[in-house]
Amino acid sequence: MTVITAVAEGREGDHALAAGIAEARLLGTDLVLVNLRLSSLDRSGVPGDPETTVVERSGPGDRDPVDAVLDEIGARPGVDRLVIGLRRRSPVGKALLGSVSQRLLLESPVPVVAVKPPA
Amino acid sequence: MTGTPSHPTSTELPADTKGPHSRRLGLVAVIVTFGGLLFGYDTGVVNGALDPLTDDLGLTAFTEGIVVSNLVFGAAFGAMIGGVLSDRHGRRHNILLLSLVFMIGTLGCVLSPSWQVLALFRFVLGLAVGGASATVPVYLAEIAPVERRGSIVTRNEVMIVTGQFAAFVINAFIFNLWGETDGIWRLMLLVAILPAIGLFLGMLRLPESPRWLVSQGRDEEALAVLSQVRTPERAQAEMAEVHRLAEEERIAKTAGRVDLGVRWVRLLILIGAGLGICQQFTGINSVMYYGTQLLGDAGFSGNSAIIANTLNGAFSVIGIAVGVSVINKLKRRTMLLGGFALTTTFHLLVGLSAMLLPEGGAKAWFILVFVVLFVFSMQATIGPLVWLILSEMFPLKIRSLAIGISIFVLWMANALVALGFPPVVKALGISNTFLAFAAFGVLAIAFIATCVPETKGRSLEELEDDFRARYS
Repeated sequence: MTVITAVAEGREGDHALAAGIAEARLLGTDLVLVNLRLSSLDRSGVPGDPETTVVERSGPGDRDPVDAVLDEIGARPGVDRLVIGLRRRSPVGKALLGSVSQRLLLESPVPVVAVKPPA
Repeated sequence: MTGTPSHPTSTELPADTKGPHSRRLGLVAVIVTFGGLLFGYDTGVVNGALDPLTDDLGLTAFTEGIVVSNLVFGAAFGAMIGGVLSDRHGRRHNILLLSLVFMIGTLGCVLSPSWQVLALFRFVLGLAVGGASATVPVYLAEIAPVERRGSIVTRNEVMIVTGQFAAFVINAFIFNLWGETDGIWRLMLLVAILPAIGLFLGMLRLPESPRWLVSQGRDEEALAVLSQVRTPERAQAEMAEVHRLAEEERIAKTAGRVDLGVRWVRLLILIGAGLGICQQFTGINSVMYYGTQLLGDAGFSGNSAIIANTLNGAFSVIGIAVGVSVINKLKRRTMLLGGFALTTTFHLLVGLSAMLLPEGGAKAWFILVFVVLFVFSMQATIGPLVWLILSEMFPLKIRSLAIGISIFVLWMANALVALGFPPVVKALGISNTFLAFAAFGVLAIAFIATCVPETKGRSLEELEDDFRARYS
C-alpha cells in the first residue's frame, strides 16, 4: 500500500511533502515522492519513517508533470492516495500554462488529498 | 553554432592513438565543417553582392533590409526545426537534407527575377543555415573523442567566420574583375553551391553519430561506427561513455512549457535570451552583412570599399582564433564585460569619427580602422563567450528547452538588427547609428553586471542553488 505525493516547486510543494508524510503515517503505508521540481529534491525534510522512494522526472516522456504522476500511479498497484499542494494562480497564468493541480484532481484514478499552505 | 558543453570523462579510456581511424575522423571533421563554411558563406555573401543587387533589382533601404534579414529569420526557424528533425531522423540524415536545401536556396536566389522571389529563397537558405547551426556542432561533438571534442567543435566556429571571409574575398575578386557586368551578384551567390555539393557528396560516405544511434537503441551500429573512428579497444571502452552521454541528453529534454510557470526557471531563460540580444545588438552582423556599403558611406569608392571590407572578414577570423585560445584562462564575466567595454569604445570612436572628421580619405580610413577593431574585439570575446555561457548556465533538466528559446531569441535579434540597419543608417546616418550601438552596449554592461552568473569552474548544482535562492 502506498501514498503518492506530487512535490511541485515552491511552498505548496513543501506543504504537500509534509502532508504526504503525515498521510502515509496515518494510513500506515509507504510513501512515493514524485519530484516535479527541476532540481533534485532536498532530502533533509524527508525522515526515514515512513519508508520513502523518490521518483525523478526524467526525459521527454516526463515532460508533462501530470503525465509523470499519473504514469507513476498506473505503474504501482495498490496506491491509496495522491497528495498534492494547491496555490492560487492568476487567470492569465492558468490560461497560458494550465493548472497541474486541477488536472491531477480531475484525472487521478485514486482519491486525492489537496492541501494549501497557510496564507 | 549551438554550443555543446564539454564533459569530463567519468571513466578512464585507453588513449586515442593515430592510425587509419584517426585519418577517417579527420576526414569526417573536414567534410562536416563544410556545413559551417556554408553557414558563413551564405550569411556573408550578401556583403559585397548588395550594391550590384540593389541597382539590378531596384531595392530601397527597406527592401534591402528584408532581403538580407529574411535569411536570418529563416535561420531562427531552421535552428528549431533542424533540432527536432536531427533528433528524430538522425544527424547524418539531417545534414544530407540540409545540403539539398542549401542547393535549392542558392539556385533560387541566383535565378530570382525580382526582389520578392529573392527574399523568399533567402528565407529557404536561412532554414538551411539555421539547421546547420543546430546540427553540425552536435554531430561533431558526438563523433569526436572526448579529449579532442573542444578543438573539433571550435573548428566549426572558425569555419563559419572563414566562410564569411571567403565570401568577402571572392566577392572582391569578382567585383573588381567583372564589376560592370549586369547581374554580377548572381555569380557571387552561385559560388555557394560548390561547398553544398561537397557537403552532400561527402556526407553520403560518412557514418551516423554513435550517440544518436545509442539513443535509438541501435548499439551494434553505434559500435560499428565507433570502430571506424577509434582503435578497436577504445571503441569498445567508449560505449559506456556514449551511453552515459545519451542518457544525459535525454534528461536535458525533461522540462517543457508547464515548467515556465516556475519563477526561477523563467528568469534564468530570460537571462539566456538577454545574452543573445546583447550579443546581436553590438551590431556585429550589420558589419558582416553591410560592411561594404558602410565603408562606401564612410568615403571609400565602390571598388576599394569591397576590398577594404575583406579586412572585416580577416579580423573576424583572427579574433575568433585569439578568443578561443584565451577563453578558458579568464573568468567568463570578466571577459564578457571587458569585451563590451571594448566594443562600446569602438562604437563611440566610429560614431565620433563619422560625426566630427571632415569628408575625405582620412575619415574613411579612421572609420575602417575602428570598425575592424570593433569586429576583432567582438569575435575575440562576446562572440564565442555567449555560446559558451549558454551551454553552461542552465540546470540539466531545463537545458534543451532553455537553450532552444535563447538561440531562437538570439537569431530573431540578429534578424531585427539586419532588417533595421539600412533604414536606420539612411535616416540617422552612420554616426548616430553607431552611437546608438554604443548606448546598447552600456545597457548590455549593466545587464551583465547585475544578472549574468559566473559559470566558469562552478558545478551545475552550485549554480542551481544560487538561482533558486535568488529568484524563488
